[in-house]
Amino acid sequence: MQSIYKYISLSSFLLCLAVLTTQAQEKKVEKTQEKKKESTLPKVKLLNGFTVQVDVASLLTTALIHGDSYSMEAGVQFDLKKKYYPIVELGFAGADKISNENVGFKTNGLFGRVGVDINLIKPKKDSKPTNNLFLLGARLGMTNFAYDITNVKITDNYWGGTESPDYMNQKSTKVWFEIVAGVRVEVYKNVYMGWTVRNKNLLGQDAAGKVFPWYIPGFGINTSNNWGVNYTVGYHF
Amino acid sequence: MKQIIYLLLISFFISAVSCAVDEECRKNKTVQMIVGFHQKTHNLVTNIYTTSILTVDSLTVQGIDSMGVLVDSVLYNNKKNVSLINLPLNKFAQESKFVVRFNDKTDTISILHTNTDEYLSLECGCLKIHSIDTVLLLTHNYIDSVKIVNHSVNNVNINNAEHLQIYKFK
Repeated sequence: MQSIYKYISLSSFLLCLAVLTTQAQEKKVEKTQEKKKESTLPKVKLLNGFTVQVDVASLLTTALIHGDSYSMEAGVQFDLKKKYYPIVELGFAGADKISNENVGFKTNGLFGRVGVDINLIKPKKDSKPTNNLFLLGARLGMTNFAYDITNVKITDNYWGGTESPDYMNQKSTKVWFEIVAGVRVEVYKNVYMGWTVRNKNLLGQDAAGKVFPWYIPGFGINTSNNWGVNYTVGYHF
Repeated sequence: MKQIIYLLLISFFISAVSCAVDEECRKNKTVQMIVGFHQKTHNLVTNIYTTSILTVDSLTVQGIDSMGVLVDSVLYNNKKNVSLINLPLNKFAQESKFVVRFNDKTDTISILHTNTDEYLSLECGCLKIHSIDTVLLLTHNYIDSVKIVNHSVNNVNINNAEHLQIYKFK
């Protein structure tokens, strides 16, 4: 529960920061634009606001499918020159699973990603400017979390005896790299919807023989390569 | 355009959900100590000892627990023509004792070892790996000496590589 509060406070802080920087930027841009009024081509501003977006796909899967894992995430994406879209994504995810052999795994934690998207749709001269985007980008994700692995049963079939060691409160930090492709469409004034597909690549390897997490918040099941889908609803400020 | 986007979204969504994870453990969860039988022959002319692999005509191996009681199941029961055997070490004790009968002679050997947990995965759980410290020959009826070739008994088994070599009494 505490980590949820931490997450909310962190994201709201980020939001405030974003608002302040936009206001500062806009004033500057206005001044420079007045000077260059005589130029014929419409100049694209450096910062064209930002979009706050929530991932609906992870929320829906968490609510509808009571699976082994749950996840929720939101992000702030800035619009630089209508071409570059730096993004910060924050989320909270966890898992609670019991394997076929009754081994339990439990975790939850915060994760964050930073990265940039590039809009591949080139603005046409004659048509009116569109707010629809086809984005291609990259992210660097990170999470620091703790997990429990319980009831790891060991039996000796010949000599007899059993042991069920628990590995509680194991700490782990994971970093991964993502390649992201997606579409974002303005469905209503300032309301955006879009989806992204991402290929996630885990950096670093677990030490052989030591316990390692089955699930990584923000990354998914612990394999070297994972796919992820986001469906976002956002509002542009 | 928008319909295509929605269609793509739905298909991606389904494919993401339907990817089930293989949950079956396909790894071998028991590690075994590999023991080979050897003999030394003395060449009287050159005065050089040469070692060669020994094939035992009939072999019976059984474990004895810490109380000195024979373990119910027999590991090798009157097996013919053996030169290499696999023995399980005790996962929860520091000592594994075996009674080995070579043809008509019986010897007892004791292996002192340490055990370590090795985590495999959530599907497979843990296994115990061993490190051999000492081998004690409690009797000398058939066995002359024992050589520890590889101390670590783990799940990395390269071509039946021996951990122990038992040498026959001349």
